[in-house]
Amino acid sequence: MKPEVILHSFGYLAQAAATTVAVSFAGIVFGFLIGAAVCAARVSRRDWLKRLGAAYVSVFRGVPLLVQLLFIYYFLAEYGLDVPAIVAAVGGLSLSSAAYQSEILRGALNAVPRGQGEAATALGFGSLDIWRRILMPQALRISTPPLINEFILLLKASSLVSVVGIAELTRVSMNIASQTYRPFEAYLGGGMFYLAINLCLAALGALAERRLAAGSGR
Amino acid sequence: MTQFDKIALTRRDALRRGLTAVAASGAFFAAPRGAFAEDTLGEVKKRGELTTATEMQFPPFDISDNGVYKGLDRDLVDAVAKEMGVKVSYLDLPWTSVLPGLEAKKFDLCIAPVTITKERMKRYAFSVPIADATAALMKRANDSSIMKPEDIAGKTVGGQKGTSQVEQLKAFAAKLPKPVEVKEYVDNNQSYADLAAGRIDASVNSFPNLAYAAQQRSDTFAVVTPPFGQPTYFSWVGRLDDKSLMDAINAAILKVEADGAMAKIQKTWFGQTMDLPKTVPEPTI
Repeated sequence: MKPEVILHSFGYLAQAAATTVAVSFAGIVFGFLIGAAVCAARVSRRDWLKRLGAAYVSVFRGVPLLVQLLFIYYFLAEYGLDVPAIVAAVGGLSLSSAAYQSEILRGALNAVPRGQGEAATALGFGSLDIWRRILMPQALRISTPPLINEFILLLKASSLVSVVGIAELTRVSMNIASQTYRPFEAYLGGGMFYLAINLCLAALGALAERRLAAGSGR
Repeated sequence: MTQFDKIALTRRDALRRGLTAVAASGAFFAAPRGAFAEDTLGEVKKRGELTTATEMQFPPFDISDNGVYKGLDRDLVDAVAKEMGVKVSYLDLPWTSVLPGLEAKKFDLCIAPVTITKERMKRYAFSVPIADATAALMKRANDSSIMKPEDIAGKTVGGQKGTSQVEQLKAFAAKLPKPVEVKEYVDNNQSYADLAAGRIDASVNSFPNLAYAAQQRSDTFAVVTPPFGQPTYFSWVGRLDDKSLMDAINAAILKVEADGAMAKIQKTWFGQTMDLPKTVPEPTI
């Protein structure tokens, strides 16, 4: 064990950690937006929208992220669509995560008791108000723990984007291992950065849960 | 010649022209993308930049030292590009993505050292050799039971899956009195790690790679001399239809060799110089 290997590479690892955070953050944000749209499609009254949403989830949850990334980056190029590496990376992460996030959101919506919507209608709430003031806040509160879970999973899955040439944390740890012939120290360094990032994410999640729980009266 | 003949001739002529035109348009739609565009050498010159890719985990050829690309390949491709009057950009891809990326035209040239083999010759255009790739073995420095390559009989040897060095190891092992267990890894670094940990008795790779590894961690590793494999070479790889680009690269490599810059680069990364063939050699494996 030579701790100086980690110290020497600290800046390199930190830079790679920043890439991991940036790519994952973009994946989370776009994934949430697409996921919300897919969820809306799945709970819509229109049959074709429902099916479209279900098909989306089956495809992007059913195909491994690694295969999706390779497909977007290499196989689209065969058909003349040259996707830049960073777009392929963020696109792959978002599309795949959106499938999971949409199901988390749908589950949360279903968990809000049906009677609440009916009661609100009886009290004269408009449908937009029911959505905005009654269903959405409760669904968000229910979905926070599984969403944070998904964000942490996505952050770790972002190690796969190295296949399109993005120097993220795992890739850089491997680079350091190969250069120094000291794999233990290199992966220990990379692992510590992952842990630090995910502890921050979990703390943010706990904060969000507390804020959202404030009005629940429980 | 009657007037009729003339008309007939004209008609036949028209028909032929028509058919040619149809065939040509068919060829246009059927032709792969870029077939009528400028060739890659032209594009590189126009762009003023040669785009290359390698996996920066193959010391002493490709190293990412705190994010800075270094190694024999870097120095050599810089010299080659200077000869060609263009700049270079480098892309770091996992090895499994390098050759697919070349075929998908994500970059112009693969500067990862690729061993010349008969199988690969059919699919890729090889440059003239850039280094020796003869397979050799590395052992733990304190292991006195392996003094020559034949001593691996009855032991376990690791190597990177899909490399020609592992294939050569299997061929070599088949002739030994006791069977050799071959463990294949995703990359050489895992094989080295298992060697250091005592899970395997030796690692197979090209002689220059092993010599560098043993030099970097001389307390742990030692090279078993002499190399056991047949003489093979590393080259860079381009697309088969990019003949003009590969010709230009080859001419530049030979020039770098002739003016002594190559010897300097070899001294930096191998600690010694080596002679290389001036043409793409017939593969022996």
